[in-house]
Amino acid sequence: MLILDCPHCGPRNSSEFRHAGTSRERPDATSVTAEKWRDYLYTQQNAAGWVRENWYHAMGCRRYIAIERDTVTNRTRPSDARGATPRGTDATVGTSADSNQETAT
Amino acid sequence: MRNLAPDGSLLEGAKRLSRSVNTLGKTLDQPRTGRRVLPARYSAFDLVRRGLTSSPWPRTWHDHDLESSYDVVIIGAGVHGLATAYYLAANHGITRIAVLDKAYIGGGGSGRNTAIIRSNYLTPEGVAFYDRSVKLYEDLAIDLNFNVMFEQRGHLTLAHNDSSLRTMRWRAEVNKLQGVDSEVIGPAEIRQLVPYMDVSTGARYPILGALYHPPGGTVRHDAVNWAYARAADALGAQIHQNTEVLDVEVRGDRVTGVVTNRGNVSAPVVVNCTAGWASLVSAMAGVALPITTHPLQAAVTEPVKVFLETVVVSGTLHVYVSQTDRGELVFGASVDPYPSYSTRGSLEFTEELAGHVLELMPSIAKLRLLRQWAGLCDMTPDYSPIMGVTPVAGFLVDVGWGTYGYKAGPVSGESMAELVATGKTPELIASFDLARFAEGRLVGEKGAAAVGH
Amino acid sequence: MNDLRLPPRAGEVLERSSPVTFTWDGRSYTGLTGDTIVSALLANGVQVFSRSFKYSRPRGVLTASFLDPGCTVQVGDEPNVRAGHRQLTPGIDVRPQNVWPSLRFDPRVANQAVGRFLTAGFYYKTFMRPQRLWPAYQHVLAQFASGGRTSPSAEHGDYDKRYAHAEVVVAGAGPAGMAAALAAARAGVRVMLVEEEHALGGHLRWGGATELERLAELRAAVRGEPGIEVLVNSVVTGRYDDNWLAILQRGLPHVVERLIKARAATLVVAAGLIERPYVFSGNDLPGVMLATAARRLINLYAVRPGTRAVVLTANTEGDLAAADLLGAGVDLVRVVDARRGEGITRATGRGRLRAVELFDGSRVDADLLVTSTGWTAPTSLLNMAGVAPVWDDTSARFRPPEDLPDTVFATGGIVGDGSLDELLAHGKAVGTAAAARARGGRPAPVTALPARPHPALFRSPTHGFVDFSEDVTSKDIFAAAQEGYDSSELVKRFTTATMGPSQGKLETVNTVAVLAEATGRDVGQLGTTVWRPPYAPISLGALAGVSFEATRRSSIHAWHQAHGAVPLVAGQWIRPDSYGDAVAEARNVRCNVGIIDVTPLGKLDLRGPDVPKLLNLVYVNKWSKLAVGSVRYGVMCAEDGVVFDDGVTGRLEQDRYLMSTTSSGAAAVWEWLENWLQTEHPEWQVHVTPVTTAYTSINVAGPRSRELLSRLVDGVNLEPDAFPYMHVRTGRIAGVDECLLWRIGFTGELSYEIHVPASYGLHVWESLLEVGDDLGVAAFGVEAQRILRLEKGHLIVGQDTDGLTKAASAGLEWLIKLDKDDFVGKAELTWASELPARAPQLVALLPTDPNIVPAEASQIVREAERIGGRITSSRRSPELGRAICLGQVDPDLATSGTVVTVQLPDGRRVEATVMTELAFVDPPGERLRA
Repeated sequence: MLILDCPHCGPRNSSEFRHAGTSRERPDATSVTAEKWRDYLYTQQNAAGWVRENWYHAMGCRRYIAIERDTVTNRTRPSDARGATPRGTDATVGTSADSNQETAT
Repeated sequence: MRNLAPDGSLLEGAKRLSRSVNTLGKTLDQPRTGRRVLPARYSAFDLVRRGLTSSPWPRTWHDHDLESSYDVVIIGAGVHGLATAYYLAANHGITRIAVLDKAYIGGGGSGRNTAIIRSNYLTPEGVAFYDRSVKLYEDLAIDLNFNVMFEQRGHLTLAHNDSSLRTMRWRAEVNKLQGVDSEVIGPAEIRQLVPYMDVSTGARYPILGALYHPPGGTVRHDAVNWAYARAADALGAQIHQNTEVLDVEVRGDRVTGVVTNRGNVSAPVVVNCTAGWASLVSAMAGVALPITTHPLQAAVTEPVKVFLETVVVSGTLHVYVSQTDRGELVFGASVDPYPSYSTRGSLEFTEELAGHVLELMPSIAKLRLLRQWAGLCDMTPDYSPIMGVTPVAGFLVDVGWGTYGYKAGPVSGESMAELVATGKTPELIASFDLARFAEGRLVGEKGAAAVGH
Repeated sequence: MNDLRLPPRAGEVLERSSPVTFTWDGRSYTGLTGDTIVSALLANGVQVFSRSFKYSRPRGVLTASFLDPGCTVQVGDEPNVRAGHRQLTPGIDVRPQNVWPSLRFDPRVANQAVGRFLTAGFYYKTFMRPQRLWPAYQHVLAQFASGGRTSPSAEHGDYDKRYAHAEVVVAGAGPAGMAAALAAARAGVRVMLVEEEHALGGHLRWGGATELERLAELRAAVRGEPGIEVLVNSVVTGRYDDNWLAILQRGLPHVVERLIKARAATLVVAAGLIERPYVFSGNDLPGVMLATAARRLINLYAVRPGTRAVVLTANTEGDLAAADLLGAGVDLVRVVDARRGEGITRATGRGRLRAVELFDGSRVDADLLVTSTGWTAPTSLLNMAGVAPVWDDTSARFRPPEDLPDTVFATGGIVGDGSLDELLAHGKAVGTAAAARARGGRPAPVTALPARPHPALFRSPTHGFVDFSEDVTSKDIFAAAQEGYDSSELVKRFTTATMGPSQGKLETVNTVAVLAEATGRDVGQLGTTVWRPPYAPISLGALAGVSFEATRRSSIHAWHQAHGAVPLVAGQWIRPDSYGDAVAEARNVRCNVGIIDVTPLGKLDLRGPDVPKLLNLVYVNKWSKLAVGSVRYGVMCAEDGVVFDDGVTGRLEQDRYLMSTTSSGAAAVWEWLENWLQTEHPEWQVHVTPVTTAYTSINVAGPRSRELLSRLVDGVNLEPDAFPYMHVRTGRIAGVDECLLWRIGFTGELSYEIHVPASYGLHVWESLLEVGDDLGVAAFGVEAQRILRLEKGHLIVGQDTDGLTKAASAGLEWLIKLDKDDFVGKAELTWASELPARAPQLVALLPTDPNIVPAEASQIVREAERIGGRITSSRRSPELGRAICLGQVDPDLATSGTVVTVQLPDGRRVEATVMTELAFVDPPGERLRA
């Protein structure tokens, strides 16, 4: 169980949070090309190493916070933008289609 | 994801290769069986003979020096890579193959999965694909002369609410139309199959029914890996363990080879058959993928006398369980909720898992968890794999296998081999192309299921 | 008692005056309080506790501890109990496992004769033909499964969980661990000291007078230190990210096991050393045991382990064992000192040890062979912290590297060797450092504890067992290596060595060492396999703990129960599916008036000047001009254009809105709104409050609903002109202020959805029934609502749509306003609108045979037996007296009037016609607007 350092609440168990994707910029939906848009929707950096990502403190302050995490070791550190508003949360996660997903094997 | 090459424009290298292969095939007349000579036959008779004469078994596969060029380089010696090598050699006579792995045979997802095989998918393309895989698994032991212990013990997917029961019916109906044996059964029949199951109506998650899929079952995953390795090796493919690919060389828009910790290798065709590292390996070739990598955890209990014949899955409770012939219960769940390359596992996983298993079978509370582990799963947005060509000519992918790669090992190998040899994407995998994301034609498995394993 | 029980020993843990009676294999025995099952049975002359997994060889004591591979037994309905660890309790029913049909006679013993054919992995090479016989082979193989028995009627038992907040957790309470705990506590931090055995002290417990004296001092010091919480018969069984520890506590009253979860600032691993078995022919014979086992049996349990003993020693432990044996009156016939190049070749005997053959060719009769040939450091917890142990040639064991993560420390035998004083000093230094680190300090590294030289002894010139519980021999390892399974991982997988109950704690090093010998490499080159959690097996019951599954009920739940509601589990909610006759309930809504509890419907209170911007962003339709008092239906899509929720939102005041969502989507939609507000539009002034359970929601539906409500509502003009369809009002209902009334209609009838402060929900519900008696008012459940909404052609998200259904394919084209600036999903919906439809379309289907209702999920079959769609909803319509359906069909089949073929689950095929509109009842919506 990771500890995430919430800028509003302090260090908390990661079970209080929901992972909200790596940070990325949402293109302007009215002018974007299909190619760029789907690149934004689907293509992932999926880096092995430090990434800047957003977490939603669902069972705490209910704020989106920015965290830096090493995806290989799961070590975390507060983002440079600690306390700042996270931008560009991954808009493809967290929809009911995902949360209602069942497990199959 | 830009300028994805349509199937027809597959690398010329592969075309040349396929032409030479076709020629080769004519010369040999029977390329499928021409060189299928295994080093030592496995049989009860041979076991006894060697036991009596104390004569050792020959090596299952061999070590080789890494050569400077091959016709095909396959990255990843898991079931997908090894099966691809085997079918290239067995079905198409292409044998100048190197299978490279940074660790050992079957050390990644192929050795960490819960070894469940089934074909009761939701979409017609999914059903057809996995059904072919089941068929190949059924004959694998004899085809490869290696007992892979495919046990078709039946596969139950439980429904705890109306909507999942509806989905089970949906899958059953699609399966039936495709000739796959699936049916929805009720609590009484479930109890007959699994006497330990709590099917009482007062349960927090009552069991309303299940999708019963008799051909589903389990396989001994290591055996499958070794069987393919042995057969591919016998046909001339070289398996290089402890050989890590450090870079993929691309000239212009064409792949030319790979850089490894044991030297450079040139090849007109490079197939990425990795899992967990699929996007990192593809990035070496400049190919971005719609993949996030998540750990998937699994666990086994201490052995007890066999009491559970079928495979039991509960999507709502995010758990699946089967019992091995050794008596251990094998559990799996869905992928961890955030991406990571760490395979260290978590306590929450075991707590939730145990809670959910005991919802289903309360009387096994005193059974002890013996070991937990994790593998890495490359998740795609539509819970379907990515197979075929990429914008880099000659660089092919067989990736994005999420939690269901093991089920598809044989059919993926067969299909990828056909693609390499003929230059044409087989119909069976056409809908799994990389271009579908840029073109917005996702596969419908996401429609109702398919995570977890 | 017999002569196997020695006179009282200084360090014994027995209560001589307190006998305990129990049964073993159906016969009654007596032991003493403090005995383990094994020590009690040994004192009674029992020497064989199980038969081995593959060859059915009789097995006795090897380690006399938790790890003892041959001493796993069934106790009552509990399988796989470690008899070398479990203490006797009165009356327990202990049975051997894996001994069908009995411990004394076992037909599988024939396997020994054919053992040469049953080499590791033999099953991969046979049983292939004929293929259809494999299930039969499999059943035979499964008979060999080791382990105990479960039963469907086994008691679940009680389990417990606890969160602990120690700053320093010390795993292992030998001398170094105790010293570390003392030092840390004296530095002022809260310490938890966890010991797997039943008492503190580690190897001091089975030591001599000096050790016992020092142990008494240490125990007194620990007892006197209030900052230390001591747990015995407990084990730190897992170390997870950020020192999240799983501690298994056993032997508590009333609970089978307890799982303690502790977030330790620092972890001190003081797990000691595990004595390693030696590999030689006959090393599994009852009578062959480790030096630590012999010493434990003599000194802790006062059991004489044999009468004529040979000791093979390579270290002090072996020497001390020899001394202990002499002291216990055992005839010590030979001490074989490996440090002087002496050794043993094999042990012989049928079913138990009779003789030992030495290097010099001599043969010594003995019934006890004690070996002490090396140690294994149990580095599991360090492994779980990402530390890879390193092979040390000098001490012939894997040791942790000096450089550990800064929140993890190690002391005692696991890191090195030393005199008792040196161990205590190291423990103290580590404990002090761990305490400083726990408080945020950066302590200087502790000087390493060196390891003493030890001869590298793994195997005699003969082959023997490497893994006792898996019946894997060194010969198997050689054979596997020769076949190409020549890395640590492959040999483990192929032979199954280290896969058994002790998970390699006894077996890993020998496996790797034999593999090294077989392949001409050295142990360090091969490395060890990764140790996975848990360190000690933990019951599913303890992991699960008490179930805290949330269940949600509305304030009217008790009424539903009292009125015969059939419960429906809908996510966390329990709802009335019907009150017995859903069709009658539906009819009553169409004719009179019905009321349904719709509390689970998600409700979000939205306030602020920028709410319209938010609504415009998340819904596909336009919201800028929604007037106060109006309500609008909206559909939400994800960025890929796929529908994920729907509902109505009303404007209550200038800057106050109420949004409703689907029941299952309530939590996700709230988070979705927060996501957009916090990450993309933090400048917008909108506050979102979930109010789902703040209100009890009741839908009043039917032609007489207005009349019914008019009897209870104050302050709202219900007349159609004053309160038209798709409007919202605030008023008093049945005397309850601050109620909301929406005029909307999921059922297709004139209806009002009322939201009442939750504490008055039942009052309003009962008032409606009371005052509407003459109007025929009756409650209706979810099933009746489903019938009604299907008659009206209203879709259910997730049932009539799926994970790929874009809004335009769900009959919602009319709603999507692509000329809006930006909204979630706009890009994809725009492109979809520019292409000919290729996704399945949602249509209404009228089966030709009015009496056949195609089951939901029935497939639509088109030419060439291809699937052309499916039935998503179907019912018999009470209003129309016939079957009706919604379904998704291929776009070319979606034209009105098309006749499609539906395959029913039983294989029959029927036809159905595609309708012009989704609604079967009242397509123009006159009833809604009445």
